[in-house]
Amino acid sequence: MQLFQPEEVIVERGSEASPIYRNLRNRLPLIPFRTVDAVSTENGRTDFSASTFGAAKKRLFLTRHKGEFLKKCPGSDGQICCNYFVINFASNCPMDCSYCYLQEYLADNPELKVFSNVDDLLTEAEELLTNHRRFFFRIGTGEITDSLALDPYIGFAREVVPFFAEQPNVLLELKTKSDCVEGLLVLDPKDRVVVSWSMNPQRVIDLDEHGTASLSERLLAARRCQDAGYRLGFHFDPIVEYSNWEGDYEDMVDQTFCSVDWRRIAWLSMGVLRDTPSLKRIIRDRFPRTQLLTGEQVLCPDGKLRYFQPMRVDIYRKMLCWIRRAAPTVKVYLCMESKEVWEQVFGFAPICEKELGNQMAPSL
Amino acid sequence: MGWDQPARDSLFRLAKGLKVGENHLRDLMDWLEEIALRDQSTIEEILAGKPITDIESDPRLGRADKLKRVKEELRRLRFPRLAQMEDSIRARIQELKLHPEIRLTVPPGLEGGKLRVELSAANPEGLKRLTGKLAEAADTNTVREIFALLAGEAVESRPKSDHFFRG
Repeated sequence: MQLFQPEEVIVERGSEASPIYRNLRNRLPLIPFRTVDAVSTENGRTDFSASTFGAAKKRLFLTRHKGEFLKKCPGSDGQICCNYFVINFASNCPMDCSYCYLQEYLADNPELKVFSNVDDLLTEAEELLTNHRRFFFRIGTGEITDSLALDPYIGFAREVVPFFAEQPNVLLELKTKSDCVEGLLVLDPKDRVVVSWSMNPQRVIDLDEHGTASLSERLLAARRCQDAGYRLGFHFDPIVEYSNWEGDYEDMVDQTFCSVDWRRIAWLSMGVLRDTPSLKRIIRDRFPRTQLLTGEQVLCPDGKLRYFQPMRVDIYRKMLCWIRRAAPTVKVYLCMESKEVWEQVFGFAPICEKELGNQMAPSL
Repeated sequence: MGWDQPARDSLFRLAKGLKVGENHLRDLMDWLEEIALRDQSTIEEILAGKPITDIESDPRLGRADKLKRVKEELRRLRFPRLAQMEDSIRARIQELKLHPEIRLTVPPGLEGGKLRVELSAANPEGLKRLTGKLAEAADTNTVREIFALLAGEAVESRPKSDHFFRG
């Protein structure tokens, strides 16, 4: 995988004492650094355009996060969700997947930012976890960024894994499309950290997951993490339907389970390609030749476009069959799907998000 | 949108002839672009195709009907498997030969996986009669096939092929 390198690092005054700043300085000695009073004055952009979003990924901002780091994952209206929490240690992602929802979600705020005040993040997490020891939490860091793609430069994993490794009531999930796991291999997760990969056949990676690790690189990284004591997760999401998708996805599933010990997989999820009408317009502007937009997607009650229901139920059933053939008892769940689809695929649906969330915890 | 002149001219000719409003035009443009991208064809080729030109040149149809049919034809081109499945479900509903006061429909895009039933009864006896007919229909293979299709299951081919998903 070709490592991302920013053209410039812009540092908000006051962030220089942060370990993230020190790591950046050490690992990017040839990249120009500039200190500014406030990051907001450097944005210099008023209107979103297709070229702006891509250009925004070339500079890296280091700034203090002024709000809460930890929040409940927003999920989707009316869909069954898994009671997940998210920590946003960065905003935006150095990779550029055609279908990425950040193109819409961060359209007004596309700058690639890392937050310097990791100590505040850990304080917030500690408060949540120690005040609620009788609850089990799953916390992820990959909602509005890739959890590990910047790690070679910022060393975020080294700042947070030791803390979470000592907490009895949490699983920290680091979700990535990279193979940037070196920083993890020297740490002891003590069964408290799951490293997970979003997965797609190489053909989809080549066409629509720009700047990400190849399938084989992801699987090698997964194996290395597993050997170092980490539990693994895999997210077959977004599943893209196209002519001969079955052959490619079946091969990918087989490759996955040949590469790792499935008994130490914490969870797997499945989700078909999802977008919104406005995201679709953005994708069309930025990636006019992508075939993603030619699938038979219809508007669902939660405002998202998905393949029509019988088609996606068929997709999920086939995927589940291939997964179960290799890993009969691994925990599998659907991401952002309705009760009806759950029932058609699994024969049951979780009553609520807490039930689904609780089903994940005993996977340990 | 990066349309070349022939594409614009084709659409303009159609839109002018049918007096297409903004919302319909937006749908047509999206579908045409996506069909052209998927099939590696051009917009003018799609609009010059027989299904569209037949509708445009049919003297029995008024402008509003022509627009409705052209839009439906393009929708079917854009969503071929969805259209085929809807046809298959519709054909099976017709096969049931239910009383006109029993209406069975499926949601747009087949989302939800449910069959909607509407009964129009003027009195309790009428209602009892209709529910009886409905209960009989529910026992047929045809209704089982409708629900199987909605649930994404493979269904026996009919003479007009509806084998969507090979099991």
